Amino acid sequence: MKSNSPYPDFLWTRRKILKTGGFAAVAGLLPRTVFADNPHTRPVGAIRTLDATQPGGIDLHLHKERRNVGGRIGDVITFNGAFPGPVIKMREGEEVEIRVHNHLEESTSIHWHGILLPFTMDGVPGISFAGIAPGEVFTYRYRLRQNGTYWYHSHSGFQEQLGHYGQLIVEPRRVDPVAYDAEHSIVLSDWTTEDPETTFSKLKKIEGYFNFQRPVTSNLDDQVRNTDMSLGEAIAMRLRWDWMRMDPTDLLDVTGVTYSYLINGKTADENPTFVSTPGERVRLRLTNASAMTAFDVRIPGLPMTVVQADGQNVEPVETDELRIAVAETYDVIVTLPEANAYTFYAETMDRSGFARGTLAPRRGMTAAVPRRRPRPMLSMADMGMMHGMDHGAMAGDGSRPTPSANSGAESHAAHGNESTHAVRSRRGELPVQGLPDMIPHGPGGHGPASITMAENVYRQLDDPGVGLGGDGWRVLTYKQLRILQTPRDRRPPTREVDLHLTGNMQKYIWGFNGEKWSESRMLRFVYGERLRINFFNDTMMSHPIHLHGMWMDLYAGHEYDKNPRKHTVNIQPAELLTVDITVDAPGQWAFHCHLLYHMEAGMFRTVAVVRSLDGEAPDAES
Amino acid sequence: MRSPKLIVLVFGILTLAGQASAQTNLDDEIKQPVDDDADPVADSDSETESETPQSRETDGAASDEPSGEHSASEGGAAVEEISDPGPALPEGMTLDEVLDLAARPPPEHFPDAIHDDRILAFFLADQLEYRFDGKEEPDVLGWEANFWVGGDFNRLWLKPEGEASFHSPGSVETETDVLYSRLIFPFWSAQVGFQYANEWSAGEPYEDRWSGAVAFQGLAPGKFEVDASAYISEKADVTAVLELEYDWRITQRLVAQPRTELSFAFQDVAERNLGAGLTDVVAGLRVRYEFLREFAPYLGIRYEGRVFESAARTRSGGEPVWRFFGVAGLRFALL
Repeated sequence: MKSNSPYPDFLWTRRKILKTGGFAAVAGLLPRTVFADNPHTRPVGAIRTLDATQPGGIDLHLHKERRNVGGRIGDVITFNGAFPGPVIKMREGEEVEIRVHNHLEESTSIHWHGILLPFTMDGVPGISFAGIAPGEVFTYRYRLRQNGTYWYHSHSGFQEQLGHYGQLIVEPRRVDPVAYDAEHSIVLSDWTTEDPETTFSKLKKIEGYFNFQRPVTSNLDDQVRNTDMSLGEAIAMRLRWDWMRMDPTDLLDVTGVTYSYLINGKTADENPTFVSTPGERVRLRLTNASAMTAFDVRIPGLPMTVVQADGQNVEPVETDELRIAVAETYDVIVTLPEANAYTFYAETMDRSGFARGTLAPRRGMTAAVPRRRPRPMLSMADMGMMHGMDHGAMAGDGSRPTPSANSGAESHAAHGNESTHAVRSRRGELPVQGLPDMIPHGPGGHGPASITMAENVYRQLDDPGVGLGGDGWRVLTYKQLRILQTPRDRRPPTREVDLHLTGNMQKYIWGFNGEKWSESRMLRFVYGERLRINFFNDTMMSHPIHLHGMWMDLYAGHEYDKNPRKHTVNIQPAELLTVDITVDAPGQWAFHCHLLYHMEAGMFRTVAVVRSLDGEAPDAES
Repeated sequence: MRSPKLIVLVFGILTLAGQASAQTNLDDEIKQPVDDDADPVADSDSETESETPQSRETDGAASDEPSGEHSASEGGAAVEEISDPGPALPEGMTLDEVLDLAARPPPEHFPDAIHDDRILAFFLADQLEYRFDGKEEPDVLGWEANFWVGGDFNRLWLKPEGEASFHSPGSVETETDVLYSRLIFPFWSAQVGFQYANEWSAGEPYEDRWSGAVAFQGLAPGKFEVDASAYISEKADVTAVLELEYDWRITQRLVAQPRTELSFAFQDVAERNLGAGLTDVVAGLRVRYEFLREFAPYLGIRYEGRVFESAARTRSGGEPVWRFFGVAGLRFALL
């Protein structure tokens, strides 16, 4: 490897670990005030690093404080005085010891997102343990059996919204297949001065409370101008949406009207800067720690090579933009070709705001900040209404490429004999390739808690999502993710369960199969089995679904060995998405939508990994 | 120090080569960055050493070597940890113990994992307005509000409405529906309860009326708010009211709300001057500005009139048959 770094790569990394590790050891012994986060001594955007595998472990002190975040004063939860939390480093194969001191006035917890560990260490109050009471100290202790970029956050109430999160890096025990000269942690988030209880309450009581980008009379001409529709067609389209009592601009429930969008706790105006030497391979570790916001990330002028998704190495794939759903992580490699500044631009999915930083050879440099694109609108394809419709009509809202719609319709013919029931009743070894591309929704909804719109659900693996793909540059899709090293267990699954993502957006009730968590039974997985879950997104929103404790092998249509594995899968409106799971983690686990307010509104299941399904109807959850 | 990394790099390339050979079998629409020679940025990238540019060079050769895929996956596995570490178990517990534990509900002292069944309350003053009568009749203060408390499916609803006149003689008229409400369809609630109505004018006796009430409330296709109620009074008189309203959003904050209320009687009700059939029509248009969703002052107009048989009865009673108001008010909510 040729590199312009003053240090050889390994030395560089090693030195950083020694430095930060030593600091952390000392920090643990000092009173909090001594190492309080001081913006004047640390460059904007830099985050402190702690090494949790150091002898003696680390201490995390949690406080709620009033802070000025980019000019707005509100509550944040700090870790040892820092907001967001420090980057916690760990080493694969070693044991961590993390003592969490709760100085809040309420119970708290830390969930280690994506980490495989004993379920009692998973940090979900009510499932893994009782939570960490105010004034209490809880010690997390577990051995790392993986490596990669992950993150951690509270699993108590709405604490995540207030900054209770940070990045977590597990360094590989052996050589990292990803070669890089320098690295930066980039933690994206949304933050508001509003009490999250109030935010939730508004969502529950007034539909579309935060949406100020609705289709209204005054933007009708914009719609006509930005699409290929005539005025009459645009009005007809709007009436259709009204007739269905749906809002095609309901992309994110909480928007820039209340949120500040942050990179490492800093607003776009503060311009967090990541110093990068031209010619160096710079690894950006991206985490979306938002409560509710999916970001579309790009660095104009600089292609990104995706090397890791959800902590798992993937075959390098070069792209210009990627959508990072809530709770996902991506590692990308970028190389500055010359000594110029580049803008790291993370636009919210609904275009109501953006986070921004700068990659530059030195601090103080800036590059142009792109204009936000017009907010996209959902199309009829997002309701799975492609059957018998011409594609022109489907693309009616003009914001959406239709490759998936095309392939979906074709494959539907090819798989015309595949009905929902035929799929459900299969037992024995399930197919691992050529799964149906489209499944019509069965008759009947899921009760009053579900506004089931999708007439069909269909695979969207090659669809980057609403508002993406029409800009003339490359956008990452799930189909491009191919795992670098085939995991140990890639047996074909032997049991499958259908899980419908359901919601009543008007009443803000969210769940699976029309049931909220409080109404549901535990979802039982059998220890040792390979289980397939088919997700049917019946709703009009994207949901990042997270399974604790176990990997989900995402069916991406590749050779089976190459399907990526994820801890969080983003499921788009009317999407049919399949994951296969090696059920190797005994205990009880959380399984939920990672949009914070959807989760708290009921989109959550407890998964019990048990010995057998005795006493349960075979298709209880189907 | 570098050599292991180079080996990994080679494995990486072989893996990519395998991918390339397999790709002929996939009907994919991936934009292949490796083939994108036209991209000027990608080209400049090839100056530096990395997996991506190197894989470009090996792409063509790889398709001649179908065995590349096999050796790549073996090679890849050799780099990664391959021995099964066994399940992750809590300290001091066996696998059997954990599996037994997992089959049981969580311990009693654990809190709920989430709180999706919280009880909420909401108050909306849809109309709180001053009604100007352009002619000789006195101005009035009018209100119409909703209050609910409960969970997602079961709620207690209060629907107070009324008007007061402060000109002499002062008078107050109110109707308050108190209903148990259940969400029965995604957009619709069924409601059952009672209505208390009263009427009071200075120097006249206080009059009131209790009725049983049922209602069907929700959002109809086209985003029309619908509230259809039926009442049976103590004297077994049956009446019904249909309310329809629509939010026409002109800008993100400026909303015009046409609204109509149709009242019916299923028999003559002499003391209320009602004749069987359609009895009253109320129509209004209010234009509000949502400074906040929960705080929106408005201006508008309101027409209320008796019709058909009821109009005739009212006219013979010496009361006005219809009135027209300009209105100014505040729509607000308590969250």
